[in-house]
Amino acid sequence: MNDVRLEVKNVSKNFGITRALKDVSFKINKGEIRALIGENGSGKSTLTNSLAGIYQKDNGTFILDGKEVHPTNQVEANNEGISIIVQELGTLDGLTVAENIFLGHEENFVRYGIKNTAAMNRKAGELLKEYGFDRIKPSNMIENYNFEDRKLVEIVKATYFKPKILVIDETTTALSREGRDELYKQMKKVRDEGNTVIFISHDLPEVLEMSDSITILRDGDYIDTVNSSEIDEDGLKKLMVGRDITGGYYRADYGEKISDEVVMKVKNVTVPGLIKDVSFELHKGEILGFGGLSESGMHEIGKACFGASFDREGSVTLADGTEINDIPTAISHSIAYTSKDRDNESLVMNQSIRDNICLPSLDDLANKAHLLSDKKLNEFAATYAKKMSTKMQGVEQFVSALSGGNKQKVVLARWIGKDSDILLLDSPTRGIDIGVKQDIYQLMDSMRKAGKSIIMISEELMELIGMCDRIIIMKDGMISGELSREKDLNENSLIAKMV
Amino acid sequence: MNELNKSTGKKMSGQVMGYLLLFLLVAISWGIFKIITPNNFGSAKNMMSYFEASLLAAVGAVGFYFVMVMGMFDFSIGANIMLSAIVGCVFANRFGLSYFGLVVGAILTGALVGLLNGVFYVKLRIPSMIVTTGLALIYESLANYIAGGVEQTLPSNLRAFGQMPGNIILAAIAFAIAYLLLNYTRIGTYTYAIGSNEFVAKNMGINVNKYKVLAFIISGAFLGIMAVLTISYGSSMVAVTGMASMSRNFVPTMGCFFGLAFKKYGMPLPAIILGEFVINIIFFGFIALGAPTAIQDVITGFALLIIVTLTTKVAKGEIVK
Repeated sequence: MNDVRLEVKNVSKNFGITRALKDVSFKINKGEIRALIGENGSGKSTLTNSLAGIYQKDNGTFILDGKEVHPTNQVEANNEGISIIVQELGTLDGLTVAENIFLGHEENFVRYGIKNTAAMNRKAGELLKEYGFDRIKPSNMIENYNFEDRKLVEIVKATYFKPKILVIDETTTALSREGRDELYKQMKKVRDEGNTVIFISHDLPEVLEMSDSITILRDGDYIDTVNSSEIDEDGLKKLMVGRDITGGYYRADYGEKISDEVVMKVKNVTVPGLIKDVSFELHKGEILGFGGLSESGMHEIGKACFGASFDREGSVTLADGTEINDIPTAISHSIAYTSKDRDNESLVMNQSIRDNICLPSLDDLANKAHLLSDKKLNEFAATYAKKMSTKMQGVEQFVSALSGGNKQKVVLARWIGKDSDILLLDSPTRGIDIGVKQDIYQLMDSMRKAGKSIIMISEELMELIGMCDRIIIMKDGMISGELSREKDLNENSLIAKMV
Repeated sequence: MNELNKSTGKKMSGQVMGYLLLFLLVAISWGIFKIITPNNFGSAKNMMSYFEASLLAAVGAVGFYFVMVMGMFDFSIGANIMLSAIVGCVFANRFGLSYFGLVVGAILTGALVGLLNGVFYVKLRIPSMIVTTGLALIYESLANYIAGGVEQTLPSNLRAFGQMPGNIILAAIAFAIAYLLLNYTRIGTYTYAIGSNEFVAKNMGINVNKYKVLAFIISGAFLGIMAVLTISYGSSMVAVTGMASMSRNFVPTMGCFFGLAFKKYGMPLPAIILGEFVINIIFFGFIALGAPTAIQDVITGFALLIIVTLTTKVAKGEIVK
């Protein structure tokens, strides 16, 4: 019996002059969870999107169970037995839960052109119950549910028809622990049924724990496939980056005294429904971390300090007495903010990399007559995009065409270019590969040494421990504890205050 | 779990809330004019005639809703109504096809105009506002050519759709078809899907361009029905040129805004019908007052802005374009 489920044969894909995939070939077996890893822009999503019909490959073939497949959209891919759960939101507002689950597959519920809504809702209800998600009602509009529940609906949508191949593209970073566990359960279920999971993740411990084997891509090239049980994190990093990633990953200093100079004072800040009575001080040259569960309220801290929260109470005051109550005041007082939701809150997607990087710095870049020079903008954008090692065709390229990690680099490049003194970084390394992660950590460290102050909000406990002078833990919208930088600090100390 | 209860509750109370708001608007707009001009406004019989008049634009608006909810726009509504009415009238009159010619001629013309709008929009890949503005000029000229520059009058024996019960029956059939299309066919689901996120919709195998063209065709066909009601109600139609037909865009478009504003309550079509009723109450209220047209327009414009503002609850942080 042939165990090969999918054969990827000489697949190539170009985006303009960028060669996203170069003659990639490998095989995946039935009953296997195959992780697909690589740095941002290595071609992981391009490959799986081509398999799922979202992109059209330029050359090569996908052979599924011995038969060549070339879907031109997700529904055709579904019909071939391929489904995908994407990184960002894949459900549509304006439709019910049931309509979202069966979008593109309504034929089973349509007779003489008339849709049997009751039958569709009934079937969706049965599926949701089968998955244990019966708290989600099929006839409810999808926009009534939060991100997490909508991802659960996507899981049902992608797996109810028992696909031969399920692709999970960097989905776990967007989920809470509970959501991740549910996804893991479904991945194992698909494998146990003799089908195949292709799992894309930047979280190497998660990759090692969940996958049976791992395929590594680098710059569009196939590098290797290894058994998960025969490799460790350092080995994977080396294969991903092409060099050893050792030492200096996080800060190495301990026991440095934090400056007494307070640059930002947050007093009794409350944002209804999100955070309650939060007070703290940020010192000059300090990296102050915020950790907690996803819904702990920590992500609102950045917005509250940036003047971007709605109905905020309490005060955020700078050393010179300036009250930060709105975004323009924050930016004009050298405060930068990067949101966790970079696509919707940090980037102007249908604009160029240049425009995105230059946006807050236009006043500084304009000449005395308030005119902007293309040359100056291009140079400015190119300098900071390069500093962040952004993989791009040029600064004129649209941000929407970049991979997730490269988009994040553009966001960071914008604020580094602005030379802000206080940086509020919410999940700055989310979806970013290890090579660039290291660059970002080193950048943060050098900024700290240069007297800049940073608030780092993160769900990754190890980076908080590795990078921060102090870590404030949030729980149920309030501060539940504070920990100082020390060698013996470990994840358990943080978790104890989180739950 | 709380999320769920909240959302279920929201849906139930949402529709009730939507209807309450709409009926409140009807009551307020009636009440204001009834107080100012008690003798010649707002009797039960008057209200019925305002409602009948509002059906004209409501029928066009429910069709136009398919276009607007997808995020497109149509500036050729007025030209379409004019051309469809004239063609229907010519079919009924000149070709002796009676009611069949009137109804089928107008609806087919409307649908054809919709098809042209859709195809030009999809093929030229330029904004729908620009495409339909350009095409409106052509439709106006075409209507003028067909009419031979002469006012087209519908004979009195063919005006059953201009009065009870013909108008109510035709409008009710149109509303029922719109409801069916929106809620019980793939077209409705795909309309909302494309309006929500075109890229994702495309990835779900939806032929986005096809459904966009279809939305224009549906809109055009409903405007054709509106044309039948309009010419039956007013008995004649003049083929104007130089974009003068744009004045006919306003009322159906405003009704459509009501539909979009009340979409979140899960009742866009009733909102369009009652919204048009409110617009007509205000309009006839001004007539009863004998207010000059310019004043009427200013106050109607403000009233509608206030109504849509009050009924459109924008979530904090939501971007309004």
